[in-house]
Amino acid sequence: MALKAMGLGKRFPGVVALKDVSLTVEAGQVMALVGANGAGKSTLIKILTGYYEHYEGRIEIDGQAVTLRKPADASQHGIQAVYQEVDTVLVPTLTVTENLLMNETVQRKRRLLMNWGALNQRARNILTEMHLNIPPRRRVESLVLHEKQMLVIARAVNQRVRYLIFDEPTTSLSLPEVDQLFRVIRRLTQQGVGIIYISHRLAEVREIADDITILRGGEKVAEFPVGDFDVGRISEAMLGTAMTEAYPPKRVEAPGDVMLEAKNLSRRRALQDVSFSVRQGEILGIAGLVGAGKTELVRALFGADRVDSGSVLVRGKRLRGGSPGRAVRQGVYLVPEERRSQGVLVEDPIRKNIALPFLSAFSWVFGIMRRGQEVARTQAVIQDVGLTPPNPHMLVQNLSGGNQQKVAIGKWFTRPPRVMIFDEATQGIDVRAKQDVYRLAQRVCDHAAVIFSSSDIDEVIGVANRVIVMKDGRIVAELAAHELDRNLILEYATGARRADGSLAPASALPLASAPEIPPQFSAEGGA
Amino acid sequence: MANAVSSEPSRQDVGNNSLEKLKNFVLDFIINYGMIVAILATLVYFTTQTESFFTAQNLLLIVRSSSWLIIVSIGITLTVAVGGFDVSVGSVASLASMLSVALMVIWEWPWQTAVLAALAVGAAIGLVNSFLIIQLKIPDLLATLGMLYFADGLHRVITQGEAAANGMANPWADRTPTEGRIAETFLELGSGRFWGGTVPQWLIDVMPENFFIRGSLFQGFPYAVVLVLVVAVVFHVFLQYTRWGRMFYAVGSNREAARLSGIPVNRVRLSAYVLSGILAAIAGIVIASFTGRGSIGAGADTLLDGVAATFFGFAVLGARRPNVFGTVLGALYVQALLIGLTQMGISDFYQDVIKGTVLLASLSLSFYLFRGRS
Ligand SMILES: Nc1ncnc2c1ncn2[C@@H]1O[C@H](COP(=O)(O)OP(=O)(O)OP(=O)(O)O)[C@@H](O)[C@H]1O
Ligand SMILES: [Mg+2]
Repeated sequence: MALKAMGLGKRFPGVVALKDVSLTVEAGQVMALVGANGAGKSTLIKILTGYYEHYEGRIEIDGQAVTLRKPADASQHGIQAVYQEVDTVLVPTLTVTENLLMNETVQRKRRLLMNWGALNQRARNILTEMHLNIPPRRRVESLVLHEKQMLVIARAVNQRVRYLIFDEPTTSLSLPEVDQLFRVIRRLTQQGVGIIYISHRLAEVREIADDITILRGGEKVAEFPVGDFDVGRISEAMLGTAMTEAYPPKRVEAPGDVMLEAKNLSRRRALQDVSFSVRQGEILGIAGLVGAGKTELVRALFGADRVDSGSVLVRGKRLRGGSPGRAVRQGVYLVPEERRSQGVLVEDPIRKNIALPFLSAFSWVFGIMRRGQEVARTQAVIQDVGLTPPNPHMLVQNLSGGNQQKVAIGKWFTRPPRVMIFDEATQGIDVRAKQDVYRLAQRVCDHAAVIFSSSDIDEVIGVANRVIVMKDGRIVAELAAHELDRNLILEYATGARRADGSLAPASALPLASAPEIPPQFSAEGGA
Repeated sequence: MANAVSSEPSRQDVGNNSLEKLKNFVLDFIINYGMIVAILATLVYFTTQTESFFTAQNLLLIVRSSSWLIIVSIGITLTVAVGGFDVSVGSVASLASMLSVALMVIWEWPWQTAVLAALAVGAAIGLVNSFLIIQLKIPDLLATLGMLYFADGLHRVITQGEAAANGMANPWADRTPTEGRIAETFLELGSGRFWGGTVPQWLIDVMPENFFIRGSLFQGFPYAVVLVLVVAVVFHVFLQYTRWGRMFYAVGSNREAARLSGIPVNRVRLSAYVLSGILAAIAGIVIASFTGRGSIGAGADTLLDGVAATFFGFAVLGARRPNVFGTVLGALYVQALLIGLTQMGISDFYQDVIKGTVLLASLSLSFYLFRGRS
């Protein structure tokens, strides 16, 4: 039993996205797909899920040739995918039940009335069977990202999935949620589901995969069992050059003036009395689980959301909230959490995105844009962050996910910042680009303060000089460089250790005592 | 389209397939020039169908009667560009045309202040629209629909439901005769012409037979045509080449991403509605000066035609977004259709069916083909 692809290829005007790639996914096995940004991973899975009408190559399931020209073809053959943008496949205004049982509720032609009680009960059964604690009657829009992801997986399982594809499922998940996801994946493989798993986090690949396939420039360059896992070898195959996963050295000089200060920031249900400051020359990490309030905090600093009370000072001057424009003029920049909806204009070429935050820097009398300058700047950014393809006029929607993220970061390079805020800035970008971002953060902090918020605790530890840990909208710990420790941060983030530093009693330790269900899941049950 | 140059050698061997190349070329051509070809084809068709279509006289009529439509359509284009919509423009044009004439005739204002007042009312309506939409968060279509009724009613109130013209009875003073007159300068905009005179023989020779009415003088272009040209060029440059234009489009394509890039989103939206109001008022003034009176519902027709022109414009040069050049072509096309079909003796209800078909066809063509590309 296997899903076999032979000689798959896909070309776009001017780009060969995929060329002669063959791959076999055995039932009950996890095949990891690894490659730099733009290597063709998403293109490959889009072919397998019937996204493209035309492609080259042959696909076989259990020895039977199949054609996949539309998504329905794929799901008919039991192939489903969990895309990173999970929102696109769920209807936010409908309930968990309605989304979970969507196919059935839509197909019930003969029955006019729905028996919602029974449907909700069925949904509950399906969810508990998968050890998920999501209330069936909740609207999907009120779920957090990984709950939505779990819902998509549950739906796929309910539709008798045989091959399930994950495209970068963990980019904005934190450790406990990743663990939860892996438990689900393992259960699925035990039931004989074949998995394709795409990720830029090699540690995850090592943990979950049975086999690893590496793509580079649209071609398959290596395939080996996970027993041969070797970071050096993988990055070399991926990038064509040897590369270590080390973080760049941190600055050792003492930090300078205070660049930004938050005083008692509070916002209903999101932030509670948050105060801290950050100085020139330091990178302040913000760690915490998904939903801990990291994004709410950085948005408040940037003026994207209003706060109920408290203030933000930039170099001692109060920054009035409610207007990111004002923050930008004060030199406070934000790389937002969701690139496609907040970071870039997908229908515009790269160059227009790069020019957007500082249009006046590219304009002349009467506000006429100077296209030459714009293109030159864009080319510089392309060099700086290693964007492919290196074409300033390429529409952002035709870039791979990681390259879109590079645009979202690179657009701030035009004017030097005072405070640069990264929110999940390395999501979806490859090893080399991640290091570019880290180096960039170091470089920026020579003259500015950097706030680096991420769900990836290792990354925060690797980059930051100082870390604040958030939980439920509060700062529960502030740790200096020498105190940075993965477990300590995790304890604070999950509530296993209280803000005063003492360990919480064992009964209040959802993570340590009941690893089967992380806190987010059990918390919902009581609410 | 994207001709990506990449360091990966394997990526450059694309498009060697010449059939593929030809297909791409044809698609590109249709996407970019399909609308323009369609317009030319329509003109040629009308020319073969009726004697009088391709004559200086008739083309001038098309340009002249498009002038206010073009101005209104540019306003609609601006609001659509910021992701909004303004359906009050037709009423605002009616209001401005009625108000400017009534102020001169009934209240005996000098033409300058009458014109300024009409423009100010247009701007004020734009302000109110943007307040309703931005601050009160009423959906744009509903807010401006309310304003459509309000402005339409108001323009009837001004003269108590009559047309405003020289010598009208004063509805506000026991129907005594009015003393005020529409200023000559005001009428000059519509009736004044330039480049009139005898047509040089060489031009007569190069143009098709009967293009010019033999022996007659060419009346010349109305000054309003210059005004339209200026407005069109200014706003084309504004949207396409200035940083404000960039902001307009950015706000229209993703408001949140624009805001998080530091764009003053609400100020941009407000400007679009205010400009739209002012442009509608200018259109109303042009109508009044052409017709020499303020008639009831003078601008009403411009709304639907203007929306059509704006969406025709989407398809021109493969823009797929509101753009002034496309809108101007769209407005000219809408007028050419109207006049051509009328001259062919086709009744109005069929005309609308044809107009609708043409609009749908051109939109489908450009959007569908473009979808196939990406
Ligand atoms: N619609 C399109 N038009 C043109 N080029 C495209 C299109 N879609 C994808 N590409 C190109 O195909 C290549 C492969 O893209 P793909 O999205 O498969 O990369 P990826 O391996 O998933 O990368 P990432 O890790 O960044 O998500 C890229 O160079 C991309 O720019
Ligand atoms: Mg991808």
